[in-house]
Amino acid sequence: MSTVRSLAVEDSVAQVDHEVAVGEDLAFQRRWWRFEKVIWILFIVILLLDLGGTFGRGPLAHARLRTPDGELSVHYERIERKGTPSMMRITFGPHSVAGGTATVSISDSVVNGLGTQRVIPQPATTIIGRDALTYTFPVSGAAADIQLQLQPSAAGVYYFTVSEPDEKPLTGRIVVAP
Amino acid sequence: MSTIIDAILGYCFLLLTVRVLSRRPGGQLTLFEFVIVFLIGGVSIAATVGNDRSITNCATAILAVALMHRLVSWLKQVSPRFGAVVDGTPLLLIRNGEWQMNVMRGMHVDPEDVMAAARAKSIGSVFEIHYAVLERNGSISIIPKHPSPDS
Amino acid sequence: MEAALRAFIGYFFVVLIVRIVGRRPGKQLTPFEFVLIFFMGGLALTAIVGDELSFTNAICQVIAIALAHRLTSWIRSKSSRAARLIDGTPLILIERDQWRTETMTKMRIADDDVMFAARDKGLRKLSDVERAILERNGDISVLPK
Repeated sequence: MSTVRSLAVEDSVAQVDHEVAVGEDLAFQRRWWRFEKVIWILFIVILLLDLGGTFGRGPLAHARLRTPDGELSVHYERIERKGTPSMMRITFGPHSVAGGTATVSISDSVVNGLGTQRVIPQPATTIIGRDALTYTFPVSGAAADIQLQLQPSAAGVYYFTVSEPDEKPLTGRIVVAP
Repeated sequence: MSTIIDAILGYCFLLLTVRVLSRRPGGQLTLFEFVIVFLIGGVSIAATVGNDRSITNCATAILAVALMHRLVSWLKQVSPRFGAVVDGTPLLLIRNGEWQMNVMRGMHVDPEDVMAAARAKSIGSVFEIHYAVLERNGSISIIPKHPSPDS
Repeated sequence: MEAALRAFIGYFFVVLIVRIVGRRPGKQLTPFEFVLIFFMGGLALTAIVGDELSFTNAICQVIAIALAHRLTSWIRSKSSRAARLIDGTPLILIERDQWRTETMTKMRIADDDVMFAARDKGLRKLSDVERAILERNGDISVLPK
């Protein structure tokens, strides 16, 4: 047999006008309304920042690296998002493609951390170096573009370098948001 | 692991968002609640699960959300303050026969909604209403001046 | 198109769909109509989310949807015309012992539905009903004589 604990019914719900038991707390509610206003303003700000690109995928996120002689430039997104595809474009100037091939070394971080899915077009050769991969592409014509499709798998800060053989490297930083 | 974190953070953020969406556009209109619930929930799914669509991953996420909910329910019981923050408090819309306009405006309730609730209790006129309470879940309770026909 | 914008527009799109498919916003959806809404809503979701699997994106899109909802609520409260368009108006079904047949057929309500609401109030016969109203959310309110 179990014993039932019972509690006498008291006026545990606050009364209004000594008549109706409504646990109203207007003071709390007023504070809540102020809080709500702040949240809505915050929401609008976040949305505007997002549209502008501070969280990736927008005008503010576009960045470009360029060597002083203009032979090599990299277009990339300064801020990216985890799991979301994006493109990094590397452009070769006229001198780089003079010999009919273009060669570029890209640091490991681009492949591993930033998750390179594809290189467009497919490189003719890929040389695996110590911290970098070197691609060569046959080229006809003046300037040339290659693209890397990235899809980062984890959030974090990544530094990368892109360089032509025997030239100074271009370094950049990409922040991947969760 | 990141799925669990995402699920927990997602839960908290959704709680905040739904709470802030003045949960009661008139208290009685379910169309918009439905759309909101559907869309907000749906949009959050992809981010929580990510690329990993395995049963393991999804089960983990479900578990994390369920546990979060349990935790919040328990906290609500243990601390009335917490309960007030998460659920809100009941609010008077009509007090002693008088409209509380500031509350009506603050909660975006229009008189038609109160009247609809009154009609549901077979009360046809606003003059018969003594108190009208906007409950925490959005429904409107009517306390008539004289006992209503069905009480 | 930017993810947040997709979410914002997607909200209005889904609202439109639900409004059109469900003849009354809310309660009177038949199971099939529910399925239809889930189906179309799900498709809209696929387009809204796209290939964005990040937490960042979920937050931004949820916020966009919340803002769209808030905007709609605000418009509803400011303009009674907009409110009528979006929510509909209460409709009278029975008045002075007369059925409003046009309303009944257009809203696809059967006599039985009204009687059900009446029985809920403890009424025995349709003739005991003073007025029956189809509320905006689909409920039927019955005022006894």
